[in-house]
Amino acid sequence: MTRTTLALGLAFLILPMTAGAADYTVQPASTLGFTGTFQGATFDGSFNKFNAAISYDPANLAASKFDVTVDLASATTGDNDRDHALPSADFFDTAKFPQAHFVTTGFAKAGNGVVANGSLTLHGVTKPVQLKVTFTPGSGAASLDVATVVNRLDFGVGSGEYKDTSTIGNAVKVNAHLLLQPK
Amino acid sequence: MALRSDDSRWGTGARFFHWLMALAILGNGIFGLWMTGLAPSLAKINTFALHKSIGLTVLALFFLRLAWRMGDQRPPDEPAPAWQRLAAHVTHGLLYVLIVAMPVSGWVFNSAHGYPLQWFKLFNLPPLVAKDDQVRHVAIIVHEYLFYFLLLVLVAHVGAALWHHFVLRDNVLRRMLPFGRPRKVPPPGDPS
Repeated sequence: MTRTTLALGLAFLILPMTAGAADYTVQPASTLGFTGTFQGATFDGSFNKFNAAISYDPANLAASKFDVTVDLASATTGDNDRDHALPSADFFDTAKFPQAHFVTTGFAKAGNGVVANGSLTLHGVTKPVQLKVTFTPGSGAASLDVATVVNRLDFGVGSGEYKDTSTIGNAVKVNAHLLLQPK
Repeated sequence: MALRSDDSRWGTGARFFHWLMALAILGNGIFGLWMTGLAPSLAKINTFALHKSIGLTVLALFFLRLAWRMGDQRPPDEPAPAWQRLAAHVTHGLLYVLIVAMPVSGWVFNSAHGYPLQWFKLFNLPPLVAKDDQVRHVAIIVHEYLFYFLLLVLVAHVGAALWHHFVLRDNVLRRMLPFGRPRKVPPPGDPS
């Protein structure tokens, strides 16, 4: 345990010196949204509270890192019933699992884009998730768009009768649009 | 069992629409009143979806029925005083209006609430109005009270049919019954 802590501490000391990826702060206007399906129609939702630590350099992917924590109880979808159901034990179970966590394990070039590989911990389940990354540099500020599709049942979101995908679709699109300011 | 109506009775086509819709309308109405008391669950969501699917089916059947009736002749009214024939036709007209108004008010409520509308999990139908809390409140009251009004009109419709059948002993109900045969009208002068 102490050895791990020490190693981690060392890593944090050394990383900024060896890695050249730029650290950014995420501006409040950034969004983290999702699109699910219910009864054959899509609905859009968003997580209004999340924290993203972004280190990114398209020229130095090896040193880049995303670390995102999402407050699951902050999900809104424009429907009262659904917004009350989502934090309940039937879905996110925020009493037990208040946060979701995504952290990258590596980046790779894919065609003329970039994908971020990482692991997502949601509802007590950790699984690999791959994000499509679109980085748009600006003068100082930059924007970062990521997109992926997660299957809610992989993470046990929707228990009991709510596993029925003929009413609530399994695949959920996740999109983030982050406005970045260099630190 | 002629598909089309003739001078003495309704054809299989007309009877098919009449009884299928009677069953669907009554069943869906009672189903609708019952389901609102269910505790929130996916089963409740699916129950509501079924209610909506049946309602949409009734609406579709209504238009098919109207088209069928336009191409079909109808048996002439049974002999009765003019006011009774008028009352019967007004009742039928009201029933037709309510058969459309019931599913449409439900559809408006569903749209104003922002719910999707799916027919037996097969395809989706568009909203009739935009999401709006006020419209939603009015639409659900209209939807519910129109059903009570429909029940009232049905009391007149069914009551009259039974009165014709059991009291007047004429063919009004028989010519619409699924397997009914018209009573033989004794030829004039027949002692039986």
